[in-house]
Formats: sequence, structure tokens, C-alpha cells
Amino acid sequence: MTGVTLTVLAATGSGWAMHGWAIATAAVVAAGCAVVGTLLVVRRLSLLGDAVSHAVLPGLAVAVLAGGRPGGLLVFVGAVVAALLTVGAARGVNAAGGLDEDSGAGVVFTTMFAVGVVLVTVFARRMHLDAQCLLYGDLEYVPFETLAIAGLDVPRAFVSGATVFVLLVAAAAATWKLQVFTAFDPAAARAAGLPVAAVTTGLLVATAMATVASFETVGAVLVVALLVVPAAAAELLVRRLHQLAIVAVLLAVAGAVIGYLVAWAGNVNAAGAIAVVLGVEYVVVACLTPDDGIVARLCGRLGLAWRVACEDRLATLWREEESGATGAAVGGLVAARLRAGGLIERQGPDWRLTARGRREAETIVRSHRLWEAWLGRHADLPLDHLHPPAEWVEHHLGRDVRRRIEQDLGRGGGDPHGRDIPPEV
Amino acid sequence: MTVITCIPPLAALPYNTLVVAAGVAAVGCAAGVVGCFAMLRRRALVGDAAAHASLAGVAGAFLLTGRRDLPMLLAGAFAAAAAGMVALVLVRRFTRTRDDAATAIVIGVAFGLGIMLVSGIPRWGFAGSAGLEQMLLGHTAAVTVADATLLATVSLLAMAVVACFTKEATLVAFDAAFAAAAGWPVAAIDVALLGLVAAMVVTGLPAAGAVLVTALLVIPPVAARQWTDRVGPLLVLAGAIGLAAALAGVAVSATVPGLPTGPLVVLAAATVCGVSLLAAPGRGLVARRIERAAVTRRAIRGMLIDACRREADAADATFDHAAVVGAVAGDGPRERRSVSRAWDDLVRQGLIEPLAAGPRWRLTPAGRGAAAERSRRRDGWLRLMETAPDEVRAGLTIDLPAPAATPTATAGKGVP
Repeated sequence: MTGVTLTVLAATGSGWAMHGWAIATAAVVAAGCAVVGTLLVVRRLSLLGDAVSHAVLPGLAVAVLAGGRPGGLLVFVGAVVAALLTVGAARGVNAAGGLDEDSGAGVVFTTMFAVGVVLVTVFARRMHLDAQCLLYGDLEYVPFETLAIAGLDVPRAFVSGATVFVLLVAAAAATWKLQVFTAFDPAAARAAGLPVAAVTTGLLVATAMATVASFETVGAVLVVALLVVPAAAAELLVRRLHQLAIVAVLLAVAGAVIGYLVAWAGNVNAAGAIAVVLGVEYVVVACLTPDDGIVARLCGRLGLAWRVACEDRLATLWREEESGATGAAVGGLVAARLRAGGLIERQGPDWRLTARGRREAETIVRSHRLWEAWLGRHADLPLDHLHPPAEWVEHHLGRDVRRRIEQDLGRGGGDPHGRDIPPEV
Repeated sequence: MTVITCIPPLAALPYNTLVVAAGVAAVGCAAGVVGCFAMLRRRALVGDAAAHASLAGVAGAFLLTGRRDLPMLLAGAFAAAAAGMVALVLVRRFTRTRDDAATAIVIGVAFGLGIMLVSGIPRWGFAGSAGLEQMLLGHTAAVTVADATLLATVSLLAMAVVACFTKEATLVAFDAAFAAAAGWPVAAIDVALLGLVAAMVVTGLPAAGAVLVTALLVIPPVAARQWTDRVGPLLVLAGAIGLAAALAGVAVSATVPGLPTGPLVVLAAATVCGVSLLAAPGRGLVARRIERAAVTRRAIRGMLIDACRREADAADATFDHAAVVGAVAGDGPRERRSVSRAWDDLVRQGLIEPLAAGPRWRLTPAGRGAAAERSRRRDGWLRLMETAPDEVRAGLTIDLPAPAATPTATAGKGVP
């Protein structure tokens, strides 16, 4: 299908202009979905987005049967009505059955979709709706249906997508404070007398609008990717709602452009490629987010493990010196690190602590023994249960905490095993 | 098979269709049974994620083997569905993304991958891929006898697994924390449950297709839940509803040409579900409406008999119909109607009676007893509310009359 299209595009010699329009359409549609999706995600309504995107199918079919043109007002109204019906029915099923959100949505949107498929199949001859196109989208064909605007042939899908985007942004901007309040504390917003139910309904209408605008480009089932994935990725990156919306739009546009190019290069369905690229964006963001991304947290854990290993080795050497035993072999990466840091040095066949190393080791041993002494006094634990917790805590006690523990214990005491607690360095 | 040939609309169908019907019915039944636990564990839409992911598996299996061979395709679909579930678990475990968004991400991205691969296969020059797209909406007619046998076998196996582990799955579904504390391997049971869901999604693919197979898992349990509060009957009922919906769908699509089987099966199940939501005794909408009306009517009767006694105490032990009804009912005509219905109830129950002479009424001895009992109970509640500590009082959910309308303790002393 696309193969043919691409050949046609190449033959006409205006390939780039055509692809440019397709990319622009994909980008503008994705941006509109991202705006709505941001609010859906922060309000934990992502699955409602999924449900609505499936459920507009019968509304669309009925509207087309009633004589609506694809992209026309009637189709829009049909889809919005179907979306509101779905949400109302889902709530009704939840209330009637005493069920959780998932079940109600699951029952209603699968039923609506089934109705839609039956309608499309039965009346296939009478409507210009292609089930294939509804499900997959036909981004490649977008440039062929144009409107003349200011002497320029602009694809109809681009016009409708851009209109919906502008409308959605305007609606979101006009009700922004309301949206923020409702998103983060619906109960308080309701108590403050704000029209929370109306805001939710408006959000669903917006979802239906974004869905319909995306239908021809990415298809019914993939709308959910455009709605949810950029917003979910943005949520990992930033914390404020307006930043979230902006980042989501940027990610969505990037996904649409890259996805189209991937589809072009690989000769595959553009909508699918866009969804996959968005998924890749999400994975990259989840991995690489500073502070609490997967990679950052992994690095943090590895760093901690490394520090603990080094400090434990220092403390072991110090204890050996204390008890007069020498000659423990020190090797491996940890020793190399300690040596490079000037904390240990070789004396004949043995490793010794340097003055600096001794100071650091004393701090650790001091933390360890203070903690044992403190636990021994305040927690009713047998003597042999004091060491394991102290072995962990010794790496995390600061100077201030050590001082306060010492004050609590009083001066001059040793640890519960009868050994001296080294003084603060 | 013999059972199926006995069902009138199916009896006239060709042998092949009957075999397909048997396969689809087994799938519907098993999906209903497995779906019960997904619903009880509040993971109804996990199956949706698995279903959308399976399309990529179908395409991947075709790319690897180059043949359109149902067991191979289903194996690929199962692998992809399992991978989708693993992705879901990973997103939940390692990111801040909430559950609903995680599910939606897996649905959207995995389905995008599937569509990308399916669209690419013919364009990359693989022959014989026609029909892969039918995995999207299901294409029952293409199921061969061998395929149907495979579907039935997997379904029976899944039901056998559920039958063996009903106790464990029930425990985890209702109180996972307790199960973990009691030493049950909750994670393993959960994984097994997810595996079963993935298996049923994949088996349902040829019948209902990737988009609608979720319905087979979600709708029958929701319908069955209306009729019972016990897990055993729930499983049996959900299985029966799934089976009946599958048979009905196959029968209708076989008799009316041009109608797709999968959506019809879903619509049949949805019809049963709608009827259950409306008409089931106890939990159904109609039953609850009737019960609520009865409660309201009882409450109005109570208010009426209180008003009767107040009026009677104030006058010569008799009262006026209009005065009592006016004291209880507001201005609305509906309210007046329900109050006069309650008045008729009181007359029928022999609690009030008209005086032989004149238009006035009086309480019968039974009516006076009933009024005294009400006032005794209310006084008890009032004492409890006054003496109970605050935290107890906050938990008491009785509708007491507003303080101004509360009869004083002396009002009770006039009762004989």
C-alpha cells in the first residue's frame, strides 16, 4: 500500500512536500493528543482514554451512515456522543455491579467496539469507512485529500488536526487553574465548590475530539499510545503540570516525526512506527531521568555498594592493627582504590593504613561501636545481635549524630564488647 | 459434539462449522473461568494488554517461520503476551508511572509494534501472509478442525489448572496480604494467574481477534458476579455464560451471512451481562430499586405512625387524616402519593382505624404498641448517642431526626 504510495510520490517529483505534509499532520495530531493525555494521565484516567478511543467507532459508523462526511461536524458529534455514552455506561456498570474501574470500562468499551465492527461490516457498502483505515490509520494517504487555503493545497487532515489542537490548547489554557486543582486534589476541589464533574466531562469530550482528529491518521487503537505515552514519559521528567504538558507535546511531536521517518525508511505502517518510537522514548526517559531514572538509581546503588566495600576494608585493617594481628592479604579493586586514594600503603609484605586512612577508619569504627553501645543501652537485644545492624549503620552516621549518641551515652564508656570507642577525629 | 448437534440452530450447520463452534465454545468457557480471577484480583484489563501485545507475537512468529501455521502463530502470540505482562511488571516496579498509565502504555506501544510488523510483512515480500490481519478482528471461519482441537485442548487444560488451584487463587484474590503472611507464594500464584490470562487471550485470538478477546475475559465474570457471592458458583456460571455466548455468536453468524463471529460472541455476552446487571436478584439494578423503595416505604410508615401518635396525644386520642399526612409529607405531589400509600399500608396492617362516628381516626391497640416500640427504640438510640464516646458515635450511622423534631422524653410517657 505504502509502497505504491511512495512510488507515486517519487514519480510526482514533489515527494518531499508530500511527506512534509504527512509529517506535519502526524505532529499536529500527536501534539493535540499529548495535551489531553497530560490531563488524563495525572487524573489517573489513562484507561478511560483507551476506552473512549475504542468506543467512538460505533458513533463514527452511525454518523457516517446518517450522511456525515469523514472530518465533518456530524462525525465529530457522533464520536463525542459515543464517548460520553461509553463513560456513562461504564460508570453505570461499576455502580450497578459494585465493580472496580477496570471491569466496568472493560465491559463497555469491548461491547461498543463490537457494535462498531458489526455496523462497519454490515454497512460496508453504504459507507466510505474502511475498517482497515479506522484501525491502522492511513497517514500515507493524508496529502492526497486537500483543501485550498490561501492558494495553498493543505491536507484536510492537517486542517482538522490543527484546529483541534488550537481548540484543545485554548480550552486547557482557559481552565488551567481549575485543571490543576482538580488533577491534584479532586475531593478538595469538589469541597471548594468547583464543578469537578463538569471538568471531567469536558476532559472526556476533549479526549473524544482528539481521538476523532487522530482517527484517519493513526487509527482507533493507536490513539491510546499518542494520548498516554508522551504524558507518562513527561511525568517522569518534570513535576509541574504546565511543564508536563509542554514536555509531553515536545515528546509527541518528536515521536511523530521520527516515527514517520522510520516508517518511510522501513516501508511499514506509519502509525505503528510512531507508537513504537513513542515507546522507545518512554523507555529512554525511564532509564535516563536524572535522580530517579533507572540508570541513575542503579548508579546510586552501585556507588553505595562500592563505598561500603571500601569503608569495610578500611575498618577491617584498623581492627587488625588494634588487635595486633598483621599480614592480612589485601588485594583486588577495593585495595587499588584505597591505595590510589592514599589511604593504605605497602610495608614489606603487609598493607598498612596511612595516617589519613587511619583517621577515616577510626571514624567508621567509632560509628560502629557508638551504635552498638547505643543499641545495647536502649534496645533490649542480646549481645550477639548488636553487630549486624551496626555493620549497616556505620556507613550512614554523620558527625552530628555521633556527637549526640556520645552525649546520650556519657563519656568514657566502651562498646558493649568491652572495646574502646575511638575519639572523634 | 453430540451436545452441540442437539442445539436446534446449530443442528443444521455443516460439520466443519460445528467443529469450529465446539472450539470457540471451549475458548469462551475457559476464558470466562480464568477471567473471574482477573476480575477478583482487580486486574481485568491486564488481559487487554496481553491481547494487544499478542499481535506482535503473531507477526514475529510468521517472520521467523515463514508459514501461516496456527500452533506456531499462537506460540508466538503467547510469548509476546507474556513479554507484554513482563513489561507491565517492570514499568510498575522501576518507574513512578501509575498502574493505569502503565497498562495503557503497554497496550498502545505493543499494538503499534504489531501493526508495524503486520503491515511490513507483505511489503517486505513475504508470501502467504494473508490472514495475519484477521488476527486483529478474528476470523473464525478460517479455523480448521485441527486448530479447533488445539483451542479446545488448551481451554480444557486452563480450566483444569483453575480447578486444581481454586483455593490458592481465591485466597490471593481476596486477601493477598494475608496469603503472604500465611506463607503462600503469592508472587508465584500471581504469575501463574497472569500466565493463564495470557494463555486464554492467545487461545481466544482466532475466535475474537486481538481487540475483542479481552471481552471474553471481562464480560462473563462481570455478568456472573451479579448472581452469586461464592467463588465456586461464580466460576461455573462465568464458564456457562462464556460458552453460551460463543455458541450463540457462532450460530447467528452462520445463519446470517456476512456477520463477523467474534463481535457477535461479544455482543451475546454483553446482552447476558446487561440482563444480569438489571435483573439479577439481590445485586441487580431492579432488585435494588425495589428494595430501596420498600425501605423508603417502611420509613414513611414509621414517620406516619409517630405523627399519628403525636396528634392523638395532643387531642382526645383521635386524629385527622389531613393533619397527619400534612405533618409527614412535603408539598410535592409524589411525596403526598407515597405518604398516602403508606397510610393505606397502616390501615391494611390494622394499626389505625377510622372512628365509627365522624371523619377522625384513632390508633388500634396494635398501632399504639407499634408506636410505643418505635419510641422505645429511639430513646435507646438517643441515650446511646449521648453516652457513647465520640469515636463510637462517629461510626454510628443511624438516621436520627434532626434535634428540633426529636420528641422529648416526656412524649413517651403518654403511651398506655
